[in-house]
Amino acid sequence: MTSGDLGLSKTEPLLRAAALSVDYDAAGGDVVRALRNLDLEIADGESIGVLGESGSGKSSLALALLHLLPRNARVVAGRVEHRGRNLAEFSSAQLREMRGGEIALISQEPALALNPVLPLRRQLADVLLAHHKLGRGAVSSRCNEMLREVGFPDPERIMRAYPHELSGGQRQRVAIAQALICRPRLLIADEPLSALDAATQAEILELLQRLKRDLRLAMLFITHNAGTLAALADNIIVMREGEVVTRGSMGKLQSSPDEYVQGMLFPEKSLAGEPGAFTPAADERPLLEVRGLSRKFVEQRMLSRRKFVVSSLMGIDLSLRPGSTVAVLGRSGSGKSTLARCLAGFETADSGDIIFRGHPEEKKGGVRRRVQMIFQDAATSINPRFTAWQVVAEPLEIAQWKTEAERAARVLALMEEVGLDPEWASRLAGEFSGGQRQRLALARALAAEPELLIMDEALSGLDMPLQAQMVRLLIHLQARHGLTYLYISHDLNFISLFAQEVIVMEAGRIVDRTTPAGLAVSTNPATRELVEASERLHAPGVEAAV
Amino acid sequence: MIRYLVRRAGHGLLMLFGVSILLFLLFQAAPGDFLSEVKLNSQISPETMAQLRAQYGLDQSLPIRYWRWAKSSARGEFGYSFSYNAPASSLLWPRARNTLLLSVPALIISWLIAVPLGVLVAGWKGKWADRLFSGGTSALLALPDVLIALFALLIALKTGMFPVGGMTSVNAQDQGWWPWLRDLGWHMLLPVAALVVGSLAIILRHVRNSVGEVLESSYMRAAEGHGLPRYKLLFGYALPAAANPLISLFGLSVAVLLSVSLLIEVVMSWPGLGPLLLEAILARDLFVVIGAVMLSTVFLIAGNLLGDVLLYAFDPRIRRSL
Repeated sequence: MTSGDLGLSKTEPLLRAAALSVDYDAAGGDVVRALRNLDLEIADGESIGVLGESGSGKSSLALALLHLLPRNARVVAGRVEHRGRNLAEFSSAQLREMRGGEIALISQEPALALNPVLPLRRQLADVLLAHHKLGRGAVSSRCNEMLREVGFPDPERIMRAYPHELSGGQRQRVAIAQALICRPRLLIADEPLSALDAATQAEILELLQRLKRDLRLAMLFITHNAGTLAALADNIIVMREGEVVTRGSMGKLQSSPDEYVQGMLFPEKSLAGEPGAFTPAADERPLLEVRGLSRKFVEQRMLSRRKFVVSSLMGIDLSLRPGSTVAVLGRSGSGKSTLARCLAGFETADSGDIIFRGHPEEKKGGVRRRVQMIFQDAATSINPRFTAWQVVAEPLEIAQWKTEAERAARVLALMEEVGLDPEWASRLAGEFSGGQRQRLALARALAAEPELLIMDEALSGLDMPLQAQMVRLLIHLQARHGLTYLYISHDLNFISLFAQEVIVMEAGRIVDRTTPAGLAVSTNPATRELVEASERLHAPGVEAAV
Repeated sequence: MIRYLVRRAGHGLLMLFGVSILLFLLFQAAPGDFLSEVKLNSQISPETMAQLRAQYGLDQSLPIRYWRWAKSSARGEFGYSFSYNAPASSLLWPRARNTLLLSVPALIISWLIAVPLGVLVAGWKGKWADRLFSGGTSALLALPDVLIALFALLIALKTGMFPVGGMTSVNAQDQGWWPWLRDLGWHMLLPVAALVVGSLAIILRHVRNSVGEVLESSYMRAAEGHGLPRYKLLFGYALPAAANPLISLFGLSVAVLLSVSLLIEVVMSWPGLGPLLLEAILARDLFVVIGAVMLSTVFLIAGNLLGDVLLYAFDPRIRRSL
């Protein structure tokens, strides 16, 4: 279908939002203002970036443009026009025609964008059939062609598969194929990269750039990571609390004096002037030593006697000096998390030694308390029905630390130390935002007075300005308490400001050991891949990531 | 898959074994036996009593009685009915068939109504129709099954259009198979309707809730964003994704239906397991009770097994993990 079907003139923009305001009815009768007085115009072939921290109304904008807002949201003012016609006046058939046919959407979590129980062939074909009357053969060949376009060399295999059989990057490719199979004029991409590892992010970004060029696609690219916009967006809108802070080209924004804009564009700038990371004494004995650590997982399938051995860790040697920060980098599935879980004592290695302060890890309880771990998603690692108080006090109570009153004082002190208002102590953990919950997890970890803090992608779920704030906090805490950090990440953000050593993992092995400065000159292919991905995601001048 | 089913069937057999032991122990613990009432009759001498006890095998110890019952079960007799002086199986089989005659159609009809209706109601979430349904199903859930059965009887009495009880009319057998079948269907109508009403609400609620939950998920929003038509979203995308808990419910609904069925059979004098079980419990007709309970357990296990097979067919994730 083309715009001609709707009988509209060429001069009208593809999509326009005029003075758009959206409210959400939250629980307890509260009204949350998601969008305020937003103006936006997208012409054919134009691409616009929407930049903002979480909670700035970016996703509401994406949904409002497709008239897909959830039931508890309403457009309180303004309108959205598709080629000059108000969406509010569209019949449901017209809306259906527009969605997927003219304007398509891809969303943040590729794992959640596909129906888990239907084969991909059907999910792809149904989009096509919703907009075109085609025979079986035509549908099949069109699906094949589309999957090839998004970079699958073997479309037949993908079409037979179910979502859980694909990796995150593959799923996002399928979601893109779904969105573009009817050749829409506009693609709304709502944080399409955030759930992927850096190398996959770079691949998807490249794919989107290519498709945009080949299909002359207009694009609305929503992100919290300014680096990705440099390559993709003609114009950028910066949003905060539902309002447009400023708009313009990347160049114009870079010279904007606004503090929020600067924070979004240069999250690392805010870290300038931080105390240099603790320099550990060279002769001191290592805090933690790992020798020949291996871990295998054995899978056995139904109706098969064959066992599938998946090696997750193979002969890992590692040494952490007290007070230092070691960054462990690698793609998803490289074994980083298994390493973290073995070190924290959640999993037992098949072979190899973990030596803490010169003692082999035997007296489990004692060592475990001195090694604390922070997980990627505080939303799932903290019981949302606990109050902030209960969360932080839990390790103290388990250790029966001092008296009740001293515990109480310590909980409040800890909350203050991680930058949380102690007055929030009685709030439920579920009511905190993502960044605040991660601080809460940090306070809980600190309560146990650890010497080693393992952070398993602890920052990846946060938007860039929040990541910068967390890094600043972590540097302060390290200086104050002499903490040792093992920082696990799939990207290179902030590594140079933060870590003294870098370890690159691939397929369960350590393939490269270097320093942040050495990353750029490393010749190891796995390291090169990470560095190149990072360079593609962080355009020069926007963010000095490495 | 086949190995999995064999394993599940093995579990089922173990469960039957456990249930039978439990039943024997329960009966042992309960006061009195089949001869307790005979004992009250002063004309029967203690010698006769002892003779009778020996004849019924009630003088033996529990393990021996269990062994005898197990042997007789292996022969397909399931022990001996004291009241009817016949192998328990000759009483149980026709009754079980009659119970299935009610519950299988009721099961099918309930699900055939509940699934499409539940999906539609889930699609109306928050609208007045949804609220009406919530109220309606709540009321239905609160209604005791006896009341439903009595109400059905009342309809039969007041309208005079339906038989008030029983399974066939007196002379139905003589008129050839077609009139007989029509007569049977006519008699089934009210009990099956009562069963459907008794089990529908809970299934309907589950369908509405699990489909409603899936409708909130981001892949449903994504599918809507691709412009899929509404009926396809509801029945082609939401329903399969919501099927998993519903299929588990299927096994459970067999249990609910069976227990409701026993009651409705008693009230509406349907010659199924219900009245037989009641009568046998009152008479302490040991082996008939055990047989009836065992048969119900078999139905239950079969229902759950069927649920597992369906689950395997529907959910690709389960297919892989088995």
